[in-house]
Amino acid sequence: MIKAQTLQSRLIQDAFFKMAMGVLSSLLMLPLIFILFYIFSHGISAFSWEFFTQLPKPVGEMGGGVSNAIIGSLLLILISALVAIPLGVFIGVYLSESRQGRIPEITRLCIDTLQGIPSIVMGIIAYTWIVMPLGSFSVLSGGIALALMMLPIVTKSTEETLKLIPDSLKEAAFALGAPYHTTILKVILPSGKSGIISGILLGIARVSGETAPLLFTAFGNPFMSVNIFKSANSLPLLIFNYATSPYQDWQRLAWGASLLLVLFVLSLSILAKVVVKK
Amino acid sequence: MKENKSILDLQNFNLHINEHHILKDIDISFYRKKVTAIMGPSGCGKSTLIRSMNRLNDLIPGVKFGGQMHLYKKNLLEMNPILVRRKVGMVFQRPNPFPTMSIYDNVLAGYYLNGIKLSKQEKEQIVMDSLQKAALWDEVKDNLHRKGTFLSGGQQQRLCIARALAMNPKILLLDEPTSALDPKATAKIEELIIELKTKVTIIMVTHNIGQASRISDLTAFLYLGELIEYDRTETIFTNQKHTRTEEYLTRKFG
Repeated sequence: MIKAQTLQSRLIQDAFFKMAMGVLSSLLMLPLIFILFYIFSHGISAFSWEFFTQLPKPVGEMGGGVSNAIIGSLLLILISALVAIPLGVFIGVYLSESRQGRIPEITRLCIDTLQGIPSIVMGIIAYTWIVMPLGSFSVLSGGIALALMMLPIVTKSTEETLKLIPDSLKEAAFALGAPYHTTILKVILPSGKSGIISGILLGIARVSGETAPLLFTAFGNPFMSVNIFKSANSLPLLIFNYATSPYQDWQRLAWGASLLLVLFVLSLSILAKVVVKK
Repeated sequence: MKENKSILDLQNFNLHINEHHILKDIDISFYRKKVTAIMGPSGCGKSTLIRSMNRLNDLIPGVKFGGQMHLYKKNLLEMNPILVRRKVGMVFQRPNPFPTMSIYDNVLAGYYLNGIKLSKQEKEQIVMDSLQKAALWDEVKDNLHRKGTFLSGGQQQRLCIARALAMNPKILLLDEPTSALDPKATAKIEELIIELKTKVTIIMVTHNIGQASRISDLTAFLYLGELIEYDRTETIFTNQKHTRTEEYLTRKFG
């Protein structure tokens, strides 16, 4: 028998423990709320029709927007997604399919290492691979640098998602006479669709704010450029350049661009959660 | 046992996984349009035996098999496993409908996954026939486009039977098809199996001695990878020749 008094003190301990967890978890939310509030209050005043549609104005002229950086960022994300998603999903399928063996193990180690490499190193790699041979800074090289960062995220989430799919589904497909590749493409991948998509969205969210790999790849450009072999501006680069400038007008644009970027990343993260729930 | 033609004949069938000798010199013939139950204690190789018949064991690393297994007059062990599996359907222990597909698409999954194109009319016909054969049509006919995973466990298992029947298999393998179901759903599946034997040859693995006695025409008793006894179910249950069989049936072991 447990004495009534010890039971009482246990219940109190329980309640205290639960409360501590709740308080600590809410504390975690504070920095995010603070950042969001700060960026909102500074950035929202920069939002206007011109902000989204116009090019940056030279120093001294009022107004101007960041349209070139928005287009540049979207192009960079597009290129990195086109490279990283197919590759990452395929590697993820391979890793979840072959759990043992030397090649999968080495691949897994490579992916883990790739994830740990500082982003600026990715920029240097893309610089030596693409910028130097082609002889100019380019959106392409920036996209490749970002793809290298996105690849491990997509691979990992694909592998983890597919590992959770029960083998019985695969057996069911095989028992119907389905060949291996259709089993993967038409049964296994669709079953893991939401997890894979959420991984892709998180990967995009992760790279869309990266600045360091773009410093000597996409480089930045005050004009509108959609040529992937030429340099272009992007939101993180614009924030980096304008926030460090002494001009108030440029700093205002940097706040606006920050807000835009944060909203983009936030909505991708929320979308990723929604997709998983479905 | 000569009253009917055999459809699947195993001669001297052996199976190794790495160094383990799982099935030893199995000689057995399965008869057309009969229900054959394979019984035996856990680990005796029942599931391995039934999975050899649609070559699902090919997926196990380190598996080797020898001997012969004739489906009609063709050696199944030398056929392409994909073709074997279209002729020999299988239903598993746990219901496993494809979660991304509707009931309708689940029934047609065999065609879809094999890249066989069907007209809308053919599709409707196959879906209706298969679900009727699996005694599920009346329960789902108004919800054909809902996900198969919304059904109850017993209904899901019948959906899996319909999915296997849709391919018009010569043989239907059932690997403990009711062990994950409640008694009511089990009774329904048992009824269904008795009905189905007029259309297809059924080979089932079961742990449930009562189930074997209720629905099978023939019973095989497997022990430690060897076929101990194989006869009409009646004979096995009332007049078995081997003490091992008797001991198993009277629950002395297993």
